[in-house]
Amino acid sequence: MLQEESDLSLIIAQIVQKLKGSNLYSQLERQAWASLQRPEIKLESLKEDIKEFFKISGWEKKLQNAVYSELSVFPLPSHPAAPPEHLKEPLVYMRKAQGSWEKRILKSLNSMCTELSIPLARKRPVGEQKELLNKWNEMGTDEPDLSLFRPVYAPKDFLEVLINLRNPNYENGDSLSFRTHLGLIQIPLKVKDIPELKECFVELGLNTGQLGIDDSTQVPPELFENEHVRIGQKVLAEQDSAAAQQYIRQGSPTALRAELWALILNISSEPEDVLYYEQLKTNVIQHDLLVDSLIYKDVKLTASNDDYYFVFEDYLYQVLLCFSRDTSVLSHFAYNSASPPKSYIRGKLGLEEYAVFYPPNGVIPFHGFSMYVAPLCFLYHEPSKLYQIFREMYVRFFFRLHSISSHPSGIVSLCLLFETLLQTYLPQLFYHLREIGAQPLRISFKWMVRAFSGYLATDQLLLLWDRILGYNSLEILAVLAAAVFAFRAVNLMEVTSLAAAEAVLADLSTLKVMPLLQIFLFATVT
Amino acid sequence: MSRILVPCHVKGTVALQVGDVRTSQGRPGVLVIDVTFPSVAPFELQEITFKNYYTAFLSIRVRQHTSAHTTAKWLTCLRDYCLMPDPHSEEGAQEYVSLFKHQSPSMTFPKWLSHPVPCEQPALLCESLPDPSRVSSEVQQMWALTEMIRASHTSARIGRFDVDGCYDLNLLSYT
Repeated sequence: MLQEESDLSLIIAQIVQKLKGSNLYSQLERQAWASLQRPEIKLESLKEDIKEFFKISGWEKKLQNAVYSELSVFPLPSHPAAPPEHLKEPLVYMRKAQGSWEKRILKSLNSMCTELSIPLARKRPVGEQKELLNKWNEMGTDEPDLSLFRPVYAPKDFLEVLINLRNPNYENGDSLSFRTHLGLIQIPLKVKDIPELKECFVELGLNTGQLGIDDSTQVPPELFENEHVRIGQKVLAEQDSAAAQQYIRQGSPTALRAELWALILNISSEPEDVLYYEQLKTNVIQHDLLVDSLIYKDVKLTASNDDYYFVFEDYLYQVLLCFSRDTSVLSHFAYNSASPPKSYIRGKLGLEEYAVFYPPNGVIPFHGFSMYVAPLCFLYHEPSKLYQIFREMYVRFFFRLHSISSHPSGIVSLCLLFETLLQTYLPQLFYHLREIGAQPLRISFKWMVRAFSGYLATDQLLLLWDRILGYNSLEILAVLAAAVFAFRAVNLMEVTSLAAAEAVLADLSTLKVMPLLQIFLFATVT
Repeated sequence: MSRILVPCHVKGTVALQVGDVRTSQGRPGVLVIDVTFPSVAPFELQEITFKNYYTAFLSIRVRQHTSAHTTAKWLTCLRDYCLMPDPHSEEGAQEYVSLFKHQSPSMTFPKWLSHPVPCEQPALLCESLPDPSRVSSEVQQMWALTEMIRASHTSARIGRFDVDGCYDLNLLSYT
């Protein structure tokens, strides 16, 4: 068997195995059994007739969407000799750096635990359970004393770790070279340049219609918008994930966005999904976690203070508290360089049968984490659907923004892409900002870690996240960051301090993202 | 056809450079690894597997031992096979690599390394899609591989995070 053929068979075998455990599999089985009653299913051509039936009834499409979803999320199987760590992160020094960073976080959480004498987890007494159940829909009205809690880390702490990342096999030499020392990131990852980005984001080009540009009030809707909406409705009627992903590269009409995102993420709200969410809610009621207080604090500090998102405060608790209890999130650690923190039942230290993950989903939230959920509240109002969408967005995209890896959509690559774009295409600006002690990444890092949530106006943010889904990549965040600097270059050239530079870039709420991206990629003379 | 690991002895790397190692400033760009096979019986080499560590290009040369009165000949099996598309960046730097006997036209093992086996010539996989029924039968063969992969994933969760209803924890563990 040739290498390519065996690779394909391996991928198929893996996907089949994954789907075998899914809801869809049992539904397909039931449908196949039920179809035997139908007159057009003949025994002599059973296999072909059932396949035809699946095609006509739309079940084949559902299967296609599930396969497409698996292909989008899971990396291709690596070499048979490669251990599981290699799939999480191929570079050994990055794995080590992630391990050290995790250890720091665990130490921080442990010391918070011992200092405040609060257990990591405790079972709630029945009275407290009843109380929480009663105020489940208005947890925002609670004002617990969170003054002693501090976020486990903030984006700027994480940036310091990334700045200090070094490849032990990479020698910069003693002399200053162009690549080294100018930017903050010193890791030689491969990043795209503008010609490659133009090829990659070809649908954002000047000759292609875009929502965010060609739907503005001055442009007559017959030119682009009407047709685009019509195509969007057709895509939804077909229920085809791959087509939806291609379509959304030009942006999603507001009315269709919720359904389109659900289709791309392959989220369908079956009764089982609602039940699963209710089970998570029960887990929240029964057990109180230290992590809950971190979530409360984060929501109060960030989303509650935001003009756009404070109305959704209660939703945020309902999503994030359940998220922490969701063990199905653990499966994403197979391709995440991070690993879930481990703990032992009290008194059973070291006994493997009493080892558990903490929190149950293995994700410790940091300062600003709730901002990943907030924009989704504009699209989804039913808690279990909102929850499913957020969970899928997290295990596909957001986890890459706060773990150390060499993945092209990982935060390290995004930082390097941003710095390289700026250095290459705006060298004067880059040099000037460096000279005044305002390294550009120090300003743009927080935008990228939060995927611009809380910095852009919501309609603009949703147009940006449309493209993240459409291209299945976070690179657009780095491109937008560079485009913002390019847009404000004239003002930035005049500042003489880091504080002044930050002031120029403090308010992004008036920016229109699509024109910025289009100009930076396609209309700048290089 | 079952495959077995061939015992081999991998010697340490030797730098290829002109001049005295101690006095020259530059770092050699070419390193040589000698691999010898202690077993005397001839074998059909199918696959070479290794983990790369920042090697950009690989060449493989084979030396044949014949009878005592003819000098041994060096044959090049693979020349400048690219492992890292951009040697200045991390792509491919720490990847696991397998080189197969029939992978590329330049990869030919000399006759003495392979006895003629009556097998069909593998067709080159071009743009056409593979035959579905053939692929599905090959899926059966791949099952053992996926079992291995599944075993290496995080252990199956049944949705519960506690141990017998108890989630009373001590502190987080650092191991």
